[in-house]
Amino acid sequence: MPESRGLRKSGGRFVVYAMLVAFAAFYLTPLAVVFLNSFRSLEEITQTSVLGVPQTFHWENWAQAWGSYCIGGICSGISPYIWNSVAIAVPATILSTLVGALNGYLLSLWRFKGAQIAFGVITFGVFLPAQMKLVPWAITLRALDLSDTVTGLTLIHIVQGMSFTTLFCRNYYVNVPADLIKSAKIDGAGFLQIFRRIVLPLSPPILIVTVIWQFTNIWNEYLYGITFSEGSHRPVTAALMAFSANIAQAREYGIESAAVLLAALPTILVYLFGGRYFLRGLTAGAVK
Amino acid sequence: MVASRVGAIVAMAGLAATPAYAEPRVSVMSQWTAGAEGAALNAFGELVIKGGAKWENNSVSGFTTDMMNKLRADIIAGHPPAMSQLKGPEIKAWSAIAPTINLNDLVAEAGYEKMISPDLAKIHKVNGDWVALPLQVYRVNTLYASKKAMDKIGATALPKTWDEFNAMAKKFADEGITPVAHGGLAWTDTVYFEIVLAGMSPSAYKKALMDLDDATLRGPEVLAALTELRQLTKWMSPSNAGQHWSIFVPNLMKGEYGFLMMGGWASGVLKRGHFEEGKDFLCGPAPSNSSKPVFDMNADGLIFWDTKNPDYAAGQKIAAKVAMGQEFNRVFTQINGSIPVRSDIELSDSAYQPCQRDAKANLAGAVDAGQVVMSLGNNMALPNSATAALRDVLTEFVHNSTITPEEAQQRLADAADSVR
Amino acid sequence: MSALNTLTIIPRRKAPASARWLEIFSKAGAYFLLGTGLLYVVGFTLWTTGISLTSSTLLPNYSFVGFQNYSRLLQSRVWRVAYFNLFVYGVAFICAACGIGMLLAVLIDQKIRAENLFRTIFLYPMALSFVVTGTVWGWILNPSIGVQHLVQNLGWTGFRFDWIVDRNMAIYTISIAAVWQASGFAMALFLAGLRSLDADLYKAAQIDGAKPLRMYIRILIPAIWPIVVSVLVILLQLALKTYDLVQAMTAGGPGIATTLPTTVVYDYMFQRGQMGAGSAAAVMLLMSLLIIIAPYVVLQQTRRRGQATNA
Repeated sequence: MPESRGLRKSGGRFVVYAMLVAFAAFYLTPLAVVFLNSFRSLEEITQTSVLGVPQTFHWENWAQAWGSYCIGGICSGISPYIWNSVAIAVPATILSTLVGALNGYLLSLWRFKGAQIAFGVITFGVFLPAQMKLVPWAITLRALDLSDTVTGLTLIHIVQGMSFTTLFCRNYYVNVPADLIKSAKIDGAGFLQIFRRIVLPLSPPILIVTVIWQFTNIWNEYLYGITFSEGSHRPVTAALMAFSANIAQAREYGIESAAVLLAALPTILVYLFGGRYFLRGLTAGAVK
Repeated sequence: MVASRVGAIVAMAGLAATPAYAEPRVSVMSQWTAGAEGAALNAFGELVIKGGAKWENNSVSGFTTDMMNKLRADIIAGHPPAMSQLKGPEIKAWSAIAPTINLNDLVAEAGYEKMISPDLAKIHKVNGDWVALPLQVYRVNTLYASKKAMDKIGATALPKTWDEFNAMAKKFADEGITPVAHGGLAWTDTVYFEIVLAGMSPSAYKKALMDLDDATLRGPEVLAALTELRQLTKWMSPSNAGQHWSIFVPNLMKGEYGFLMMGGWASGVLKRGHFEEGKDFLCGPAPSNSSKPVFDMNADGLIFWDTKNPDYAAGQKIAAKVAMGQEFNRVFTQINGSIPVRSDIELSDSAYQPCQRDAKANLAGAVDAGQVVMSLGNNMALPNSATAALRDVLTEFVHNSTITPEEAQQRLADAADSVR
Repeated sequence: MSALNTLTIIPRRKAPASARWLEIFSKAGAYFLLGTGLLYVVGFTLWTTGISLTSSTLLPNYSFVGFQNYSRLLQSRVWRVAYFNLFVYGVAFICAACGIGMLLAVLIDQKIRAENLFRTIFLYPMALSFVVTGTVWGWILNPSIGVQHLVQNLGWTGFRFDWIVDRNMAIYTISIAAVWQASGFAMALFLAGLRSLDADLYKAAQIDGAKPLRMYIRILIPAIWPIVVSVLVILLQLALKTYDLVQAMTAGGPGIATTLPTTVVYDYMFQRGQMGAGSAAAVMLLMSLLIIIAPYVVLQQTRRRGQATNA
């Protein structure tokens, strides 16, 4: 482990910590705002302001957000929608990661004509704006007879996620020593064998990076979640909008804040625990 | 057009031949997932269930556009909902891309048409055939005033004309109170303009903002409205941009702001905040230079799609009857704070607020005087693309004080040219 | 060679027929998956381009109108303002996110205590959705209820921070919120890069007696240049696709001061019901993107070729 690089003087270290704390305050402020609001009642917020410290703690905001707020005629809070999101995000993440790994493997270690171009085209997919793909997806799902199904929405996330996951995995696999693959081929190993026995064991760092990235993006995705889901199967991002988006309504700021935090909990936890592995994955050469 | 006509004829045949064994049910797509609107929709559902049909609530949380995207996806998928929330000229536009059913028989049976305002009826008919039904009406040109602010300047009644308004606003400004409360979103910028124009000349409003008549758009009434709007923006706080209008309600009630011009739905918001009419705020019609009432209308409606499904067809009949009925009109509007569509509903019930009664009387008077106009900012006057073009001009005008009213008029007329 | 001997995995005999079929099937499957991805990217892009040449309104129709949508868009003020806004916002966002990310990475690299805690604090914003970020920052930066209000209440009555309602400065507030969200990710990438550097590089730099700041600027940062480029690419695609953040924070206002090409695409496609115009806007956005990344791709190609010839 390298020694403390650079700043050894205590004065220097003080500056470092001071800057870190200052930045930490900047990063934590919005979270604090939402957290404080989640304990305030609507009356209090309407009487004073959306930014403020709770005068009385209304813990029931959390209970309501989780279990009793009425959305679309069903009064069960956002908990059922969180499970919906899990049902969509987990398979989509796993499958898109797997597909990305296979694609990356194919593109980097099985040089075929046009592999570079194929990689470029797939990577271009990360730039396609979500709005422009909405109607083509509606048409595609109709052709596949998957309209308004959870399968359809999951398929959308898998295919769209392919661009990112292929990008990450391919850039990682190009660093696998070519000799390793060559000798395995000479030994008679085929496509699947090399993947299972050589490439996959080397992959955990990049797979973790990919899984974290994909899970976060799919979990927070809102446009497709609303358009291609039906009523009680909609993901939590769509349910959250029930708290906020109407012109004629009083926004339930307090319960909304609690709901937002509950919905963000999975992704924050993923970053909390996965952050360490995330970094290790990047160190191992994810994005060279 | 042709498709919907053919579709209507086919659907009518289908409706007429509804098999006896159909199980009536309806699916409804709307934005009304929660809060008062959600509760009102649920009440509608209960009445439909009582009428004998199953009720499927497909509400889509989010902005209107999100709901329309879902509708679009469902239409592409080939199974639209039985009914979906739609209003204004968009009813005509959307009925052209997917078949609707014809409600003429049901409407005639209920004697509905004579009970509602003719301007309202017009919007829900395409080529003379009823394809949609209105659910509730809101008065957009409503004036709210902070009681605390009024007390400070010693005023007791709301201003009736624009001159009175300007005088009172000036008094507010002299006392250090910001005269006009505003959130700053583009549609509310538009609403302020239309309220001013409606108050100055409803006939100019109709020609300019509903017919897009070029001469009127370049005429003196529009210029006067823009000039007054420029004055209003000078009375707004410079920090008003990009926020929902309800964010500044606390400050309005505390007396830091004087006036708010917003649709009648604001009464519901104020009620939820435990503010009382008469004690914390005053409510009434927005200033108008006309001696007769002017009503700037925003109305939600439900369009009936042809689902090619006998169960839904039977359910639609039931739902339509409920929607045209008295009980629905009462219950829906009590929960939402809106005005019933039917003119024969009395609002003497204590569940109604004084401002709702005032708005209803307004509506009746305005219908008699022929001074009902459709709200531009709430997408009632023009199709969305035209509204958006005008809205771009108006929102820039409100937030950029270097644009003169003359310039804004020029841009407005040019924008109308580009979408006519 | 020694590494290979530890990987005694492949039996030195011909695989049975079933295994060979499995190999062929899995390879074909992989090609199929790759093909699906390619079909999706190419297909959707071509379809959108096709629609952009039609007069589609609420639903796609296939009546060809040539480049009418494009010319109308190019003549519209909103489109030109949107591109200008994107440029200002994009440059500010990318530079600040990179700069702050690098700064934070360097700070954390100083072998500090509670590294995990700090790293999590800087990284968690990326876990939130843009809608939440935009809404909360919209409140915080609003002069009458947020920072300006707070500071003025504390006594500095002359304090002004009303960028978000200022036509000329509002676009920078979008950058602030976006930087808050994404700089942690940039930091993570830079940190990974710094950590993957050879310890000898550091020792050599220290022996040379370079002051810590100079050491970072002249030696270490250039050494992780490939990662810097990757960060730039990721930030670039975030900037170009920004939509939810702007909608939640300023709704494109005041006026059209924070309108971006993506909001124009959405507005035309869905709010105005003009799919043809919306598709044209999307295609133009993609084309301008290609213009930006084409140099990077060419650079990568020449570098690879350079490495190949040098190897």
